[in-house]
Amino acid sequence: MAIFDIIGPVMIGPSSSHTAGANRIGYMAALCYGKPFHSVEIKLYNSFASTGFGHGTDQAIVAGLLGFKMDDERIPYAFEIAKERSLAYNFRKSYKRDHHPNEVRIVFHRGSAHSFLIRGVSIGAGKAKITQVQEDNVSFGGDHAVLLLNYKDITGMIGFIGGILGKHQVNVAYMQTSRNALKGTAMAMLKLDEECPNDAIVELKNHSDMHRVISIRKLNNEY
Amino acid sequence: MSTKEIPNRIRIRSTQDVRHYLKTYPFKGLTDFFIEYESRNRLLPKDEVYKRMQSTIKIMKESIEKGKTKANITPSGLINGGCDTFMKNTPDTVSLLGDWFNAVISNTLAVSELNACMGRIVASPTAGACGVMPGAFLTICEKFEIPEERQIQSLFIAGGIGELIQINASLSGSQHGCQAEVGSASAITASAIVSLFEISLDKIENAAAMALANLLGLVCDPVAGLVEFPCVNRNIAGSVNAIASAQMALAGLTSPIPFDEVVCAMKQIGDDLPASLKETSRGGLATTPTGLRIQRKVRNVDSENM
Repeated sequence: MAIFDIIGPVMIGPSSSHTAGANRIGYMAALCYGKPFHSVEIKLYNSFASTGFGHGTDQAIVAGLLGFKMDDERIPYAFEIAKERSLAYNFRKSYKRDHHPNEVRIVFHRGSAHSFLIRGVSIGAGKAKITQVQEDNVSFGGDHAVLLLNYKDITGMIGFIGGILGKHQVNVAYMQTSRNALKGTAMAMLKLDEECPNDAIVELKNHSDMHRVISIRKLNNEY
Repeated sequence: MSTKEIPNRIRIRSTQDVRHYLKTYPFKGLTDFFIEYESRNRLLPKDEVYKRMQSTIKIMKESIEKGKTKANITPSGLINGGCDTFMKNTPDTVSLLGDWFNAVISNTLAVSELNACMGRIVASPTAGACGVMPGAFLTICEKFEIPEERQIQSLFIAGGIGELIQINASLSGSQHGCQAEVGSASAITASAIVSLFEISLDKIENAAAMALANLLGLVCDPVAGLVEFPCVNRNIAGSVNAIASAQMALAGLTSPIPFDEVVCAMKQIGDDLPASLKETSRGGLATTPTGLRIQRKVRNVDSENM
């Protein structure tokens, strides 16, 4: 937090957590998914579910998915614009204590077989975090560029990843890894000082044991 | 002035820390200190930090105009063209303290109502309290025809004072009640107003301390969970309180309890407040018979729409 979090952000009202933060989740989720999509299922939890309507939480999330940021005056018209762009969406509500008060679960659909799950939470002052991407638990806001890697748990993968990033002069600020089982599927979440260049992403993707590479740019200095 | 090199990362927890930095390193005054603070901590060049504040203040001014272009009405009916009615009726109403006082009220209403109607505002520090800074500070700037550069300088100081509240307590109604939102907005606005006339950390601090102390204990009890009532009217309380506190500080009055300690008191009070009075709509005005009736009406509309 700093001065532009006090005098700012510039945002569409009425609520920094229920409107701006909700929008941020939709925006980051679409960046994460990174492909065109025709349909989304959105589940609102707890406080988002109970007071979301009066705060435009629903419009703000759809606006974020359409690529509109929290200061975009198209947010109140997000449903109409989604219709024009043939984006289908539906909302469900859930009240569960083991979920964050301001949580959203978004499932992207492209065709009938393909679906992709992203979960996020609004943490106040217009800030938000993505907490789940498919089966992987993650945690990132827009403060750093992020690289999410999903790969087979075999020896040498971390070295391989570090080697490529080093070669492309990308500095790693934080790194977190986990796996579902020995020799199963592993994931790494890397927070970077600058966005990972395309060439590096291609090299990472080319490894035969790499399942998925997601690269998200830094949002810190944007609204 | 010292010639010691300014460190790459500036950390502050109190006004004493700010004084220490100002004494130890070659900052060109309080505004320059907070611009450096933002620049170094956000890894943005100083001129970009300045430009960003320039565009922020422009949007803040636009929000006053936009809030006045038409009657602002929300689906709940809790916001029902108040600003519009106020401006239409004031010419024929007894004017208690003159046109500028009424301008503070109408400018604050305009921005707060615009926020409730999903318009574009500057959260300062929060969306729920976004009417205070434009309503009080920008109205004073207009009255005294303050040059834009000076306005921007004051907003950096206000941001710095708000940063100290954020670091030591919070700015969130759900954590510490309305005192953290409108109380903090009023405190930083008071500091901004003082700094338009005198960049004295003592007076700035005193204005913020008095403004915040006046609103300690203010609870967050929004009817139907909406940022509408009492939020919009409480912004007016924040604006008027900011101006009164700034006027007192400029006239040399001081707060017996220093700003840093008032902030700690706010945190303690906020922690002690029951959850029912922290943005849950389970107490206060929200659970009055009328408040509950409005909530039922709003929730019914809600289930039809989602």
